[in-house]
Amino acid sequence: MSEIVPPPLEVVERQNRFVSDNLRRIFVQIYRIVGNVADAQDLTQEAFIKALQRQEQLKDEQKAAHWLSRIATNTAIDFLRRHGRMASCELDLHTESSDESPEEILLRSEHRDYLEDGLRLLTPRERAALVLRDVEGCPAEEVARRLDCSKATVRSHIANARIKLRRYMSRRKR
Amino acid sequence: MSSHPNQERLALFASGDLGRLTRWTVERHLHRCADCRRDVSDFSELRSELSQSLELPELRWSQLGPEMKANIRLGLAAGECVGPRPASHLLLSPRVLAACASLLLLVAASLLLERPMPSVNEARHVQEGAILEASGSGIQVKEGGQALMLLNSRAHDVNVMASGGTMRARYVDADTGNVTINNVYVQ
Repeated sequence: MSEIVPPPLEVVERQNRFVSDNLRRIFVQIYRIVGNVADAQDLTQEAFIKALQRQEQLKDEQKAAHWLSRIATNTAIDFLRRHGRMASCELDLHTESSDESPEEILLRSEHRDYLEDGLRLLTPRERAALVLRDVEGCPAEEVARRLDCSKATVRSHIANARIKLRRYMSRRKR
Repeated sequence: MSSHPNQERLALFASGDLGRLTRWTVERHLHRCADCRRDVSDFSELRSELSQSLELPELRWSQLGPEMKANIRLGLAAGECVGPRPASHLLLSPRVLAACASLLLLVAASLLLERPMPSVNEARHVQEGAILEASGSGIQVKEGGQALMLLNSRAHDVNVMASGGTMRARYVDADTGNVTINNVYVQ
């Protein structure tokens, strides 16, 4: 019977450093795609576990960060595919109390729900492409790398997503 | 009046995602088309609205960060326990064994079915007064003092096979390379 050998200390330290350096960035990235703190937390953990189980990919820090971003994007897209819809943003236990009045919080929450309804009309890849381009500010080339597709496909996703959202908003305004 | 650029182009123009030439064409059109300018303005507004709405709510990162780190460590430890088994275990798994057994069975059956009749240099079979003989020169049937022979002309390396009342001679013609197979049955 084989024994489980714990990873050497230096490996554990390298893993911890990798997690600390990238945790917040990856969490934000996933949160913007799934639109929910609790799911973003679970998916961030899942993405890191997937990445850390492939030790050999972590040697080049620059490449490892890009690689992790790709894993994070794909993990979030897979989640949206599995669950179909995004859950709305809840004000959960992890949210800081802010200086906003209850009316302001409610208004902001309503506006966000309104936008989330529109985002639900998009396919997971359209949503991911739009978020990476418009919210994260990644150039189309970078979005293409993250989604593992061509720049032309990214442009098509982005254009479709904007057209769908605009139609949705003009319908709601009427 | 020139035709309007399609919505895809206007949507991409809003974020500067068009190629140089297409962007220039769209720009020229926008100078004289208020409708398309409004479309582009809507797309731009949508971008900034999206960006603001998807801003992360203020979180208690001091609590959330360590919690996630602990869960990641736990996940890795769990993964080590249920990680891929050593190769020897994989080889002995019931599925692999069943697959190997099926493959072996298939190979054995195909060999058995493809097995040629026993090969001999000469053969002789007697049935109700008729004698069937096969040799390197041909297959001969003798009955009542008469004989009929099927010659293996210009042949070398004749492969003679006998099975009950059947004789088979298989050979390659030395000149043409053609393969000839003679089957003779006695009833």
